[in-house]
Amino acid sequence: MNTNSNTYTVIYTTIVVVIVAAVLAIVSQKLGPMQAANEEAETISQILTAAQFGEKEHWQEIGNAKTIEFFRENISEETKVCSTADLKALNYKIKDGSVKDGELPAYSFKNGVTVVPVYGAGLWGPVWGYIALKEDFQTVAGAYFDHASETPGLGGKIKDDPAFRAQFAGKKVIYDENGPLSIIKGGAPADMENGVDAITGATMTSKGLSNAIATWLKAYEGTITDARKVLEQLAQMAETSNTEEE
Amino acid sequence: MKETILNPILKGNPITVLVLGICSSLAVTVELKGAFVMALSVIAVTGLSSLVCSLLRNTIPNRVRIIVQLVVVALMVILVDQFLKAFEATYAIDKSLSVYIGLIITNCIVMGRIEAFALGNKPVPSLLDGIANGAGYGMILIIVAFFRELLGSGTLFGFQVIPQALYDAGYVNNGLVILPPFALILLGCIIWVHRSIDKSLQEK
Repeated sequence: MNTNSNTYTVIYTTIVVVIVAAVLAIVSQKLGPMQAANEEAETISQILTAAQFGEKEHWQEIGNAKTIEFFRENISEETKVCSTADLKALNYKIKDGSVKDGELPAYSFKNGVTVVPVYGAGLWGPVWGYIALKEDFQTVAGAYFDHASETPGLGGKIKDDPAFRAQFAGKKVIYDENGPLSIIKGGAPADMENGVDAITGATMTSKGLSNAIATWLKAYEGTITDARKVLEQLAQMAETSNTEEE
Repeated sequence: MKETILNPILKGNPITVLVLGICSSLAVTVELKGAFVMALSVIAVTGLSSLVCSLLRNTIPNRVRIIVQLVVVALMVILVDQFLKAFEATYAIDKSLSVYIGLIITNCIVMGRIEAFALGNKPVPSLLDGIANGAGYGMILIIVAFFRELLGSGTLFGFQVIPQALYDAGYVNNGLVILPPFALILLGCIIWVHRSIDKSLQEK
């Protein structure tokens, strides 16, 4: 047979492509649910780490099933776990203003901690993470960050350096001119309640993450200030009822 | 047969002698775990695509042979990536290797071996040639990763090997080792050692 004729070439390549497409479709169908489960468990372990239920390694050790079980037991209301792809889509919506803050995901736990996601652009690719707020909706309980392709040892420290993450605990989300919660190059002043130190040698990643946090926390401003007002009113009511009793 | 297997690992090593696949060997050698998984993935891809291309070698139309080879290689790379993502044990490693698994398709070793060997040889020797070339690549990857993880992070396979006492005495991990330029320096040293042992590789 003449393997160099046009007809042969066209038919041959068509058959090859169809076979390859079929194999890929079957494999992706079969493995899809397993991959989705892994991704969900990864996201959940990041949320739980941010909320200070345990270190990231702990969730890896106990495995996917137990991590998800722990999450389901401790969450106070069922919330759909948003994947990184979901966050990316939401990020576009936040930027063009087509999403209300009530529609954004927030994971509230039985112990009063609320975790909100953040997403944005680092130096080489997306960076994202989770910030946990204590029951006063002001103090940060903890944070966890991840990235797609930041430089290991520099920008990669947002994920790999526990000391960077640890700075967030105890800081406050304050809606003032310094931004709700900023990462500051050269170090945040000691008396600044809503600033943490940037990573040396990773200015662009730090800046990107800082912008991501600012964009997302601003998107939650309504919900967070409402929650704070409710807390204030509750506190006042408790006070007035106390004085009446006297 | 023995020649087919040993040559790519020593005398014709794809990295140190043919100088192919340098890019990924700089990128994925920060830690041993990642390098190990990358090595296995490349072995799977080179072996299987050489096998398939060798089986098809008499039917492939000559004018589109590169494209057909690319489709086969791409298929294998995507399959490896999909499997790594599907299992709990390999998911985290696949995540840390990120784009580099997908980029195996651009690794010159894969296409180079198909063009140079698989298209002219029977399936079994082609499979062995593919596996051996992948192994030759993987071996260098693991050597580089060993030094980079030890000097850069003080760990091996994630376990702390440099004692805390040394850090207390003022020892610090070398930050340069983590960056790709150091991998290139290390690779240069490996090529140097290789050539000084095997004199036949030296240019006159």
